[in-house]
Amino acid sequence: MFFRRTQRDKIASHGDNKTAPVPDKVDSLAAFELRRMVDPASLGFKTTADLEPITGLIGQERALEAIEFGANLKSHDFNMFVLGPAGSGKSTAVKSQLQRKAKEEQTPSDWVYIYNFENPNQPKTLQLPHGRAKALAKAMIGAIDELRNVLPALFEGEDYQVRRRAIDEEFRAGQEEALENLNKKAQVQNIAILRTPTGFAMAPMHEGKVVKPEVFNALPQDMKKEVEKKIETLQKQLESILERMPKSEKQRRARLSELNEEVARIAVSAAFDDIAASFADAPQAIQYLEAAAHDLIRNVALFLTTGEEERALVKQPVDTARDARFRRYMVNVMVSNGSDDAGAGAPIVEELNPTYGNLIGRVEHIAQMGTLVTDFLLIKPGALHRANGGYLMVDARKLLLSPFAWEALKRTLKAREIRIEQPSEMSGLMSMQTLDPAPIPLNVKVVLLGDRELYYLLATYDPDFARLFKVQADFDDSISRSTENDHHYARVIASIVKQHGLKPFDAPAVARIIDEGARLASDREKLSIEIGRIADIVREANYWAGEAGREITTRDDVARAVTEQIKRAARLRDRAQETIERGIVLMDTTGAKTGQINGLSVIQLGNFSFGRPSRITARVRMGSGRVTDIEREVKLGGPLHSKGVMILWGFLAGRYALDVPLALAATLVFEQSYGGVDGDSASSAELYALLSALAEVPIKQSIAVTGSVNQRGEVQAIGGVNEKIEGFYDVCLARGLTGDQGVLIPKSNVQHLMLREDVVDAVTPGKFAIYPVETIDVGIEILTGMKAGIRGNDGRFAAGTINRLVEDKLKWLAQRAHEFAKGSDNAEDRKTAS
Amino acid sequence: MITHVAKASEERGRVVLHIGPGHPNPVAIEAAIRVARAFEAGIESVFVEDQQLFDLACYPFAREISLTGHSSRVLSPEHVTRELKFAAQAVRRKVEQLARAAEIPLRSRVIRDEPLRALALVCAECGPWNVVALADAFTGNAHTLRRLLNEVADATGVVVVGPKARRTRGAVVVALEELEHLPAMLRTAERLVGEGDEIVLLLIGTDEEGLHWMEGEVRLAIGANDLVRIRQAEIARGAASVIAEALRRLEAGFVISHFGGLVVPDEPDGGTLKPLAAALECPLFLVR
Repeated sequence: MFFRRTQRDKIASHGDNKTAPVPDKVDSLAAFELRRMVDPASLGFKTTADLEPITGLIGQERALEAIEFGANLKSHDFNMFVLGPAGSGKSTAVKSQLQRKAKEEQTPSDWVYIYNFENPNQPKTLQLPHGRAKALAKAMIGAIDELRNVLPALFEGEDYQVRRRAIDEEFRAGQEEALENLNKKAQVQNIAILRTPTGFAMAPMHEGKVVKPEVFNALPQDMKKEVEKKIETLQKQLESILERMPKSEKQRRARLSELNEEVARIAVSAAFDDIAASFADAPQAIQYLEAAAHDLIRNVALFLTTGEEERALVKQPVDTARDARFRRYMVNVMVSNGSDDAGAGAPIVEELNPTYGNLIGRVEHIAQMGTLVTDFLLIKPGALHRANGGYLMVDARKLLLSPFAWEALKRTLKAREIRIEQPSEMSGLMSMQTLDPAPIPLNVKVVLLGDRELYYLLATYDPDFARLFKVQADFDDSISRSTENDHHYARVIASIVKQHGLKPFDAPAVARIIDEGARLASDREKLSIEIGRIADIVREANYWAGEAGREITTRDDVARAVTEQIKRAARLRDRAQETIERGIVLMDTTGAKTGQINGLSVIQLGNFSFGRPSRITARVRMGSGRVTDIEREVKLGGPLHSKGVMILWGFLAGRYALDVPLALAATLVFEQSYGGVDGDSASSAELYALLSALAEVPIKQSIAVTGSVNQRGEVQAIGGVNEKIEGFYDVCLARGLTGDQGVLIPKSNVQHLMLREDVVDAVTPGKFAIYPVETIDVGIEILTGMKAGIRGNDGRFAAGTINRLVEDKLKWLAQRAHEFAKGSDNAEDRKTAS
Repeated sequence: MITHVAKASEERGRVVLHIGPGHPNPVAIEAAIRVARAFEAGIESVFVEDQQLFDLACYPFAREISLTGHSSRVLSPEHVTRELKFAAQAVRRKVEQLARAAEIPLRSRVIRDEPLRALALVCAECGPWNVVALADAFTGNAHTLRRLLNEVADATGVVVVGPKARRTRGAVVVALEELEHLPAMLRTAERLVGEGDEIVLLLIGTDEEGLHWMEGEVRLAIGANDLVRIRQAEIARGAASVIAEALRRLEAGFVISHFGGLVVPDEPDGGTLKPLAAALECPLFLVR
């Protein structure tokens, strides 16, 4: 039969499953164990004004060394990912670290986009020594300004006009003279040349008028022939003259063009010579100036406005840089890295809004007559341009949330050049006039800042990430508590005070903030380095000090700041508390009940979390060895909660039912819980409730329980221990502290205790108690007042102990189940016999 | 004088736009419209089909040589009739369009006759006080002008444009040679001048002393007038090129001058006016 076990089996099993001896008495924790407080005297200063503010972070040596390493290693794929919680000050720390390094580095070149005179759709780049780009742009505007004045004057001048008239006259005189001569010649021969709508025609003339045909017909034949011959000859001459006209006009235009270029060259050379001299050390700039000068000479007509245009200009002066005619001669400064003397070092750019355009740059468009048009002056630089030759800091989450930005950044880093493309082109959404600007070589160290989850996600799912971001700088959430670190912490507070121009904090106030740091770390052996939250407390304390009219911020102000922060965030906590106080949520804090216990949970609302007691009940009956977690059945329980419940089954079976089947059906439920439940911190409470139900021994309702349990009955650490204790304390306080009330916590959580001062104050006179427990046996004794019991040499638990009662109940259930299976109906008799 | 034309209390005159068989100069049409608007007059557009062209077309050997000189074709009266009809229609449409835009009354007609006779006929039909505007570019033939002013008795003035004419906006330059012409020419200029433009009294004389005297008299006559600027030009008789250069520099939108003076002499030698015609970038309003 399945419940018949050999003696050897029994011994072996009992050997594995011995219960540890339970200490005679478990003492509750003393008040000093509930909160580690800094002695203000140990800090060694009166106020923060006596302290030297600390720059950078404390206790982050590993991360800072990684940043140093990443910054020093000059390789395009050794970019950095700085991991750490938000508000840990990692951005400031990275910037501070990089600034030291960047100052020593060479200032990178300036970059500009210039007009491509051969192919306007492909603007060219120009690399200039740092600090010179703006000078070139300004010089070009100056040169064009000068030419706007000089060129019209030159072309209006006597010299030009005389030479031009000479050319005009030379050609016109030639044409007109030829026509006039022909006309005279025709008149001498009595031939009239008349204008028709589409050309010229000739006829015999007499006294300046065309001879009537009938008169002409009356003339002798010879005379008529002679006239016809004259007309034919003159027509040929006229044809010849007219044919020569276009060629002549072409020659005239060529001569005029030569003259224009010659005159323009004088002015353009004069305007450009100074610029060329000042950029003699930049051969690319010289080439550009030559091309621009050549184009200016060819397009000198741009500067020669008509009279009406000039009048319009007088009415509304036009800025040369904005004059559409001269845009091609402007210089689009993409990056300017300070003046020659500045010695600014490498740039550090932090892009707060890393969209595609803000990172890579963009080609903007302007609407003109219903069409979107652009040119090289509408190319706008991105953060990569500004950071080129230095460092670029980007928030990883924002980067990933910006369409196209992450892929573009990777592509740019891989190609080591910034190539501006329109996202709309890549997606094929729009077709418009656009540019294909020449790429700019890239040498940048990208620093992504984000949380750990993001880092691990990228590392797992994006193969490019590991190739391009080979340096991880992992910022810790907290630092170890030590006298030295307490002092460092005080200096950090001093730096916050200085940075924000606050009133000095006295030593007790600083000590109180350090205490809060430990509380934020949820560990009295640690200090949180969430500098953002610490700075919030500091600034709020400063406010309350001001409200109180104090010149120095005190401990009371810090306490007020903490309290007020909680007060502002605690509406839901208070509402939950109220429902318990009004009896809407059932909760006993006195007396004892079987199969019922007060468990503790934590609710997180943004930065604020609070504990909330919940009634947990257990019911048992004969069954097939299943512990039913009602939360799980209705899908309100998370996987960790379900795991905790399954562990209970393992504990029960392993301790009490080695040689009998576990013929138990148990149900466990969080009463009046209408939301999801997760985590295993209630598993020990559930086990206590189950044992109580099996042993039919009541549990004290004045004690709440938290802690997870393993299959061996050991109670394990949980999170949020402070909030949980405080949650139950608040309920008890509202109903009146009886002196019996308290909380069972895992012993391993004692080191995390940083309880509120009012809780500590209640513990000191014994109004409230915190019990550290290591095993279920210890816990059940406190909760029931009965011995848990250990197995004796006979392999059985001592009579009158909880364990014995449980074991007996399980054996009875097994026997009943066996009998039930056999169809027997005298189960009650058998129970009495056993 | 032309200023008689459109004073409110006087009879209104006409601007007779003479259009020949060639392509009309657009600035000439614009000038005619501007004058008509200035004097609140109507335009009588006359397309003259030169009778001589029809005589010519009757010759069996008559040929037309294209303007480029690359082709020629045999002419016939039918061909000339058709071509002139098309040309007249095209010009009429253009003038009508411009006149409508300027809200000027317009009457168009086509006359087949000798050009000057046709012009004289139209002017006579319209009554006195006509300004004749020549649509063909004026190349400097003073003989043509002399004939026109002599034979067309009812024309009080002639508007001509040179081959390089390109504007009608800008300063109105009055080329003043005799003081007695000042009131009438100035009134004409005041009517023609556009908003924001100025009137330049260009005093023309052959000696400095005479010019100074004239300037003094002019200043006394016009008093304080911000609209009028006075300039002097000392020229020798027949030096039209000097005047031409002065007008070019003033960037005139209209020039008003007296026919038969130093600027536009009444000489049989047509060559005298060639430099002026070549340099003129605006219409020239010649008064008797």
